[in-house]
Amino acid sequence: MLTESLLIALLAGLAGVDLFDGLTHFHRPVVLGPLVGLVLGDLHTGLLVGGSLELVWMGMVPLAGAQPPNVVIGGVIGTAFAILTKSPPTVAIGVAVPFSIAVQGCITILFTVFSPLMHKCDDMVKAGNWRGVEWVNYAGMGVLFCFYFVVAFLPVYFGAAAAGNLVKAAPQWLLDGLSVAGGMMPAIGFALLMKIMLSRNYVAYFILGFLGVTYLHLPILAIALAALAVAMIDFFNTARLEAAAATHPVEAQDGI
Amino acid sequence: MGFNATEAELAAKADKRMQQALATADASRDDYYDSTPAEPLSTQDINRMAWRSLALQASFNYERMQAGGWLFTLIPALRKIHRQPEDLSNSMRMHLEFLNVHPFDVTFLSGIVLAMEQNKEKLSTIRAVKVALMGPLGGIGDAMFWLTWLPICAGIGASLALEGSLFGPILFLLLFNALHFGLRFGLAHYGYRTGLGALHLLKTSTKKISHAASIVGMSVIGALIASYVHLSTPLQIHAGAARIELQTGVLDKLMPNLLPLGFTLLVYSLMKKGFSPVKLIGLTVVFGVLGKLIGFL
Repeated sequence: MLTESLLIALLAGLAGVDLFDGLTHFHRPVVLGPLVGLVLGDLHTGLLVGGSLELVWMGMVPLAGAQPPNVVIGGVIGTAFAILTKSPPTVAIGVAVPFSIAVQGCITILFTVFSPLMHKCDDMVKAGNWRGVEWVNYAGMGVLFCFYFVVAFLPVYFGAAAAGNLVKAAPQWLLDGLSVAGGMMPAIGFALLMKIMLSRNYVAYFILGFLGVTYLHLPILAIALAALAVAMIDFFNTARLEAAAATHPVEAQDGI
Repeated sequence: MGFNATEAELAAKADKRMQQALATADASRDDYYDSTPAEPLSTQDINRMAWRSLALQASFNYERMQAGGWLFTLIPALRKIHRQPEDLSNSMRMHLEFLNVHPFDVTFLSGIVLAMEQNKEKLSTIRAVKVALMGPLGGIGDAMFWLTWLPICAGIGASLALEGSLFGPILFLLLFNALHFGLRFGLAHYGYRTGLGALHLLKTSTKKISHAASIVGMSVIGALIASYVHLSTPLQIHAGAARIELQTGVLDKLMPNLLPLGFTLLVYSLMKKGFSPVKLIGLTVVFGVLGKLIGFL
């Protein structure tokens, strides 16, 4: 179990760095789930849990720089616990959410603690010490890696047995309730997106997208491409109107 | 950010960002001792910058946001451009000022900035360009990656994974990163090649590009709500001897996905009232568990 826990911690460390630097998005649950499954010898469950958690985290992205509940720790710990306690993906949601909220808080503290380092960098660049600035950045990534490594290792190594007993003791309505809540969770991410983007002139497109899935059962990609077509028509029409307005500033208005 | 803001709001935001940049400004002079344009950077130099831009948030902090990683991105190119140690130091000081751009389309800005540095433009001009582009690039990056491309790729990947197929995660990674790395490197070269010309282009069409991105983004959000928010009720209505399922008999006849839409709009209005996402997550869990316990969910 020690080897597996260390491997999972290593995975969490790398994914935690990818969340901010690298951005290949192998830190999303849909990839981390199967990887954790591979480590624990149950790829199939890993895929199922990863897929479910991906849907829970759909829409929870760092919009305008605000940190959502931490997707890395949620994915890693959720999948690991679901496999180790041999429970359905539902349990993963119940375990993942509290951990991911706690870690989000820790990351905020970490970013506050990094602030004084910038004054060190000021002194370095004054002296022309560019290598020092590079090391500060490497150190920043190193600290992130260590943080995720520890935060993933401790609960997986020490908590799996206790969690297993807890899951056995948990009543069915609680597990079912978590599953229902997991299905509703994406609404929070989407509402966040709407808060940033929605204004009167875009309500029409929102309705069209919703209708496309609800009544026409179109896949998302089809709706995105259709919307892209509408956006392009709009874009080039505006450009043409502007060009026309520029060449004929005053249109002759003849009466009929 | 920057989406549906009026001209005045945008100007106020740009002004605030300039204040933030100036508050951390530490450059000793506004021009370079050696003001002859440097040798043009090679394709490898620009590629190297694009690679290093992956570490943009390596030393992220709440005082200067991505300033440390931004300087990290530029260091090799700056060392090539500024042969005089004083000039290099001065340029680095300016690039340690407050910066907050989108981690995906940042290379467009770094390309333009390197073209300006190579041309030995005044530091205040370069700072003005950085400040002017932060907002628009943030809005366009949010709309393209967070609102559209990631949900599409993740949706395809997750549905395959839920069927137990290993292609889910693989396809997700390939799809997402094809656009990610294509744009990261493409924009770096495009920004450097067009330099200040690109700035003019972006200034005239930022609003139009933001508008187009909003159209795609809002359509996709509508589709995402209908696809991925799941909520239904097992309640039955007793009408005399007949029993009608509330979900299939009434709500679905009215409109399928009525409950998911209603719930999302409820969350949206609570968010506008100032509820934080974490609080809303907590409330959702309580609501789901209570609903199951009482039996209306």
